[in-house]
Amino acid sequence: MTRPAAIGLRSVHKRYGKSTALDGLDLEVAEGEFFCLLGPSGAGKTTTLKTIAGLEEPDSGAVELGGVDMAGVEPYDRGVAMCFESYALYPHRTAYDNLASPLRSPRHRLPAHEARERIGDIAELLGIGALLDRPVGRLSNGQRQRVALGRVLVRPARAFLLDEPLSHLDAKLRQAMRAELRAIGSVRRTTTLYVTHDSVEALALGDRIGVIRDGRMVQTGTREELWHRPYDTFVARSFGRPRINLLPGTVTAEGHFRSPDGAYELPLTVPAPPGAAVQLGVRPRDIGLLGPGKGSGVEPAGTDRGTALELTGTVHVSELLGRATEVTVRIGGQQLSLVVPRADAAGLRPDRPVRLSVPPESLLLFEADRPARPGRRIST
Amino acid sequence: MSGRASPVPEAGHGAASGTGAGKRAVRAVPAWRRSLRPYLLIVPALLLTGGILYPFGLGLYYTVFDFAASKPQPDLVGIENYRRIFAQSSFWDSARVTVAYAVGAAAVETVLGVAVALLLHRASFVGRVLEKILILPLMIAPVIAAIMWKLMLQPSVGVINHLLEPFGLGGVQWTDTPTGALLSSIAVDVWVYTPFVAILALAGLRSLPVSPFEAAAVDGAGWWFTFRRLTLPMLWPYVLVAVIFRFMDSLKVFDIIYALTEGGPGDSTMVLQIRAYLEAIRFQRYSFGISYMITLWAAVYLVTMVLVRYLGRIQNRASEVPG
Amino acid sequence: MKRRVLAVAADLALILYFVFALFPVAWMVILSLKPTNELFSTYFSFSPTFDSYRTVLGAGGDQGVPFVRFFVNSLVVSVGAVALSLAIGLPAAYAAARWRFRGSENLMFTLLSFRFAPELTVVIPLFVLYQKLGLFDTYVGMVWVLQLVTLPLIVWIMRSYFSDLSPELEQAALLDGYTRKQAFFKVALPLVKPGIAAVSLLAFIFAWNNFVFPLILTSSNAQTVTVGALSFLGGDRPKYNLTAAAALVSVVPPLLLALTIQRYLVRGLSFGAVKS
Repeated sequence: MTRPAAIGLRSVHKRYGKSTALDGLDLEVAEGEFFCLLGPSGAGKTTTLKTIAGLEEPDSGAVELGGVDMAGVEPYDRGVAMCFESYALYPHRTAYDNLASPLRSPRHRLPAHEARERIGDIAELLGIGALLDRPVGRLSNGQRQRVALGRVLVRPARAFLLDEPLSHLDAKLRQAMRAELRAIGSVRRTTTLYVTHDSVEALALGDRIGVIRDGRMVQTGTREELWHRPYDTFVARSFGRPRINLLPGTVTAEGHFRSPDGAYELPLTVPAPPGAAVQLGVRPRDIGLLGPGKGSGVEPAGTDRGTALELTGTVHVSELLGRATEVTVRIGGQQLSLVVPRADAAGLRPDRPVRLSVPPESLLLFEADRPARPGRRIST
Repeated sequence: MSGRASPVPEAGHGAASGTGAGKRAVRAVPAWRRSLRPYLLIVPALLLTGGILYPFGLGLYYTVFDFAASKPQPDLVGIENYRRIFAQSSFWDSARVTVAYAVGAAAVETVLGVAVALLLHRASFVGRVLEKILILPLMIAPVIAAIMWKLMLQPSVGVINHLLEPFGLGGVQWTDTPTGALLSSIAVDVWVYTPFVAILALAGLRSLPVSPFEAAAVDGAGWWFTFRRLTLPMLWPYVLVAVIFRFMDSLKVFDIIYALTEGGPGDSTMVLQIRAYLEAIRFQRYSFGISYMITLWAAVYLVTMVLVRYLGRIQNRASEVPG
Repeated sequence: MKRRVLAVAADLALILYFVFALFPVAWMVILSLKPTNELFSTYFSFSPTFDSYRTVLGAGGDQGVPFVRFFVNSLVVSVGAVALSLAIGLPAAYAAARWRFRGSENLMFTLLSFRFAPELTVVIPLFVLYQKLGLFDTYVGMVWVLQLVTLPLIVWIMRSYFSDLSPELEQAALLDGYTRKQAFFKVALPLVKPGIAAVSLLAFIFAWNNFVFPLILTSSNAQTVTVGALSFLGGDRPKYNLTAAAALVSVVPPLLLALTIQRYLVRGLSFGAVKS
């Protein structure tokens, strides 16, 4: 028998009046794992955390901690710690008192001198040692965020629930804290469920990532799984900037992908029913630049597997992204964006033909999107 | 799935393990007990409210009898009390006086209160000093205020007539003429409650957005235009709250008239609550007096519903105005 | 130039209003300092004396009005009424702010209707009822009936304060390891303390200033200052100076308290409809 999941949600439903927050959510976080829950605002991320913490009652479905059903168990008996997006610090008390709050509670009480030591350690770790005597009302957003995080780390917990803990920080501080967070010892040892709307954060932090949409889990997996085998176009679009190119088209009788205006055709590696409306996904960084082309259209360099496919189009616009350049290329009526090293894009001029190389193994095929249902990936 | 959970160990960490993180039984609270929680909190208030509603219900019950001190064994009379009330011209006189009083007091207080608020909003030095004592009359018990004015309005030795004498206006029979008594009562009401309107209007003025006024100033709009087209419409929801409170409260005026005129001279200030008081307490015709009050209560209730609905519409409209 | 004239005119108008607002109080002070033999023969020049205060706070004139007793009665019933309303109203206000449910909506509406109900509707039946129950002219009877004034105020205002408080603060406390009761007492309550203080004082003032209830439901034991102040007007020769002194003494507590809660008055007076 395997060890029970540290956190388990089984088909949890939760409604607030007429709006549905969670619509049959399933989630499993293994013991000691750092799990990132990624989704747009309103997807039900915060509700998920509050349901796990016992602050919200699910309408149906089960919440389990360590394999034990938590129905009716009070938040203070669940032993999880949560960092709120709003910080939820006591505005009338000092940073020290906020950090000490868990250690003065009947459940986690420590003798005063031990508490002082522990708070000192945590404050040192988070770089807020000098601020402890200040009322939280006089701290900056970044400082408050660290106090809120400290209040979670200062106490023993079976799991940490972190709700967008870095979202209110400026870009520089966010990057620094992102690097620090996973290095903190207690975070390394404790099951952590981390909620974010930032895919970069999720990719950087999560052992595994779950993508949530409209109160349902779309896909969970490692970052490689989500990157290379996204469940649908929603997941594919969630990762990578610039976003993945999704080119609508149809499948020909020979099993090729054909753009709507017939400007090009590409051979597919996955079998798809001829005539089906599909979308071809290709990430901007997977496309290479071969140099100036002669005409428009497709020039398969070879149909063998592993050999790059060749496409010809005209440059639409190019935009500098630091050391790389994002180039938008027109192929017939469609646009394709690609990211290439700055040097490669040096000679490009608008409306001039270019040749592109696309590795066939990087192509993803999706069903066409339908209203309120992103197209699923078609796989072998 | 099981309703009860068994003890689970907790993943403690480092320095703190073995302190608060020991094994602890996890106790599940049944759903019915959790859903009861908010009700438990309001039960005492519900009981107390019931304790207040009981005499109200008892009063309603009395109105179908002819209960009086002279008739301790009352008979059931049905709607006879109400029929008598509506048949009496004195009831309609009282109703007229009550409405006149309420409309007069509320109107004067609104205009005066808004004016005072506008003047205070300029925040001149004088205004800042005076604002601190604005609430003074409002905190004096209305009955005490009426006593104060009664002493001042006394025709022969009162200070008001003394001060008016140099202008050839001495010897005014303030509370001894029907019109004078009503106007005097309204004046006392105005004295006490104008600060109420002024305070709410001032709070409203201070919460108005600044940008429309700046735009109007840039456009060179005049004072009157700014007041009519900007200040007044945006201030109206605040003023309306004050007007509703004042109008409803003056419909049930008692203290001021009781101390100032006791309904006289004649029946000229005999508002409904005073007449009900005289009927029920002075003459100890309990059923009849309560019937009077139930009638007033019903009227006040209806007017409240209408005004509150109107206020809701106004506030919705005000919140739709882009700030 | 025109601006200056207008500014001065505005200040003058303000001063005019405040003369109207303050003169009665000033005149009461003057009246209360007059010796009885100069009461009807003088206006502004007289030989001031504190005799009236001595009489009001002492023997109580020829009728022996026990004014100090009335004062103590006012204190006892007002404090009692506010204390009872707080004990019962705070949990109800909290419940109404944190959970939307039928019971609390009905309670809130009923309490609001108390605010607008004519007092006599309830007082006349109570007059009959209290005499049967032995509550007539008692502290308990007064504290009970004053709930009509203090409870709606406290519940409505405190609900608005609790609603302004993010529920996440209490939720954080629950996760810190505190029980719901502790979260209420250690987190929610301290944060609304200024509101509690202000609304308690305002409720005290309204209870103190009430006139109808003591007029009808007390006679001598539990009578309060608002009714007691009228006593000096009775008799064959009205004692204007004693009345003025009694009136002034009776307005001291509410006035002192009012000055301390100026900032919170708007929300209190409008039942939470207007926040400043």
